[in-house]
Amino acid sequence: MKHISPNQVAAESPVRAPTRRALAKQQTRAKVLAAARKLFSEEGYEGATIRDIAAAAGMSTGAVFANFTDKSDLFREIMTADTEALLDSMREAASRGRGVEDALLKVFMAGYSFYKSRLPLARAAFGVSWTPDGGPVLRSLGPVQGMHELFTEQLNLAIENGELRQEAEAKLRSQMLFEAYLSNFVQAIFEGWSLEALQARARDQIRILLAGARRG
Amino acid sequence: MKASVSTDARRAAARQSQKEATRQKVLAAARELFDTHGYQGATVRDIARHAGVAVGSVFTTFASKGEILSEVMQSRLDGLYGELDRVMPHLRGSTADRLRTMFAIHFNFEAQHVRLFLSHIAAAYDWTLPPAARPYGRTPRLQEIIHECLHKGVEEGDVCREANLQEIVDLLMAAYAWTYRLVVTRSYDTNALTEVMDRQIGLIAEGFRPR
Repeated sequence: MKHISPNQVAAESPVRAPTRRALAKQQTRAKVLAAARKLFSEEGYEGATIRDIAAAAGMSTGAVFANFTDKSDLFREIMTADTEALLDSMREAASRGRGVEDALLKVFMAGYSFYKSRLPLARAAFGVSWTPDGGPVLRSLGPVQGMHELFTEQLNLAIENGELRQEAEAKLRSQMLFEAYLSNFVQAIFEGWSLEALQARARDQIRILLAGARRG
Repeated sequence: MKASVSTDARRAAARQSQKEATRQKVLAAARELFDTHGYQGATVRDIARHAGVAVGSVFTTFASKGEILSEVMQSRLDGLYGELDRVMPHLRGSTADRLRTMFAIHFNFEAQHVRLFLSHIAAAYDWTLPPAARPYGRTPRLQEIIHECLHKGVEEGDVCREANLQEIVDLLMAAYAWTYRLVVTRSYDTNALTEVMDRQIGLIAEGFRPR
């Protein structure tokens, strides 16, 4: 029987070595993602190149490609992480709402507050969302679908508790609410609207879009 | 001296008309390429080649690709707005119905050029777009037409006097833009788009009705 020292086991154990590698890989990925986030925010999606992202992360383009398939892969990762965090805070906001109008307003505001400090990234994302390839990818992200569902849930809840009529066309109405929520980013991005201004706008929009579904 | 001044003037005029010719060639080439390849898919180099001019002379005429797109859309939309100016004053019916007709005219007009239209929206977020360019959502003429439609509604009593008309305009624009996504995601045709838009207008109209 071959003697193996405890040190050797520690160093060569098939369990520990990959863990360390995985950790290093994770750190590399995090570094690339941070650099990519910065460049997408500064240059837009089209303007940011893998070469620049690699340089900003202090590594070769090869090292970037070892971790990500392409630029769209990087962008998708960033958007997934952000929209997951946003969906959580939207859910929390909805749970604090008193009635359907208030709940929806809080959901809208959760979004505007979240993106307040990262409007350039939001701008890049809107650009991508209207391109033939990027649009379907962004819209099909799990958390983005989750947001749609959250809007629909709020309407269905209001129908159940009698706040809204039974035949409230919840599907179309929640779609329109979601689009109204998104459309206000134009004012936030290009006209520098404050959260207060966005809130006043959102409150009116929600009122208009729910008017026909009110009881009585 | 006089002769040389007039020679200079003639030269300047010749330069000017050459510049205008380049401009028209670039716009025609860009219109075709944006339509077939989309905005992101067509580079300035492609546009220059298609127009038969040097890349350099594209950039002496236009500041960026975004500006080219902006001009292409502008010249196309002039035709649409001309048609709307003729039609709108004669429309009868409720405000919702007049809005429905107005958007149906839009869908018919854009139907053959959906990619170009989508390019226009995508470019609204483009970094190279000059601040003076008016991408979708800030096209003042469409907003004016909707405003006029709503004003008439206020006068005729089917739009609430206290309603914030700009908010209604923005809701209609958001609904209209979203409807176009259905072309990409579900391959909707003009009739299907019009039908969805009609329902959305009905829903918004419930919100601006006098109470």
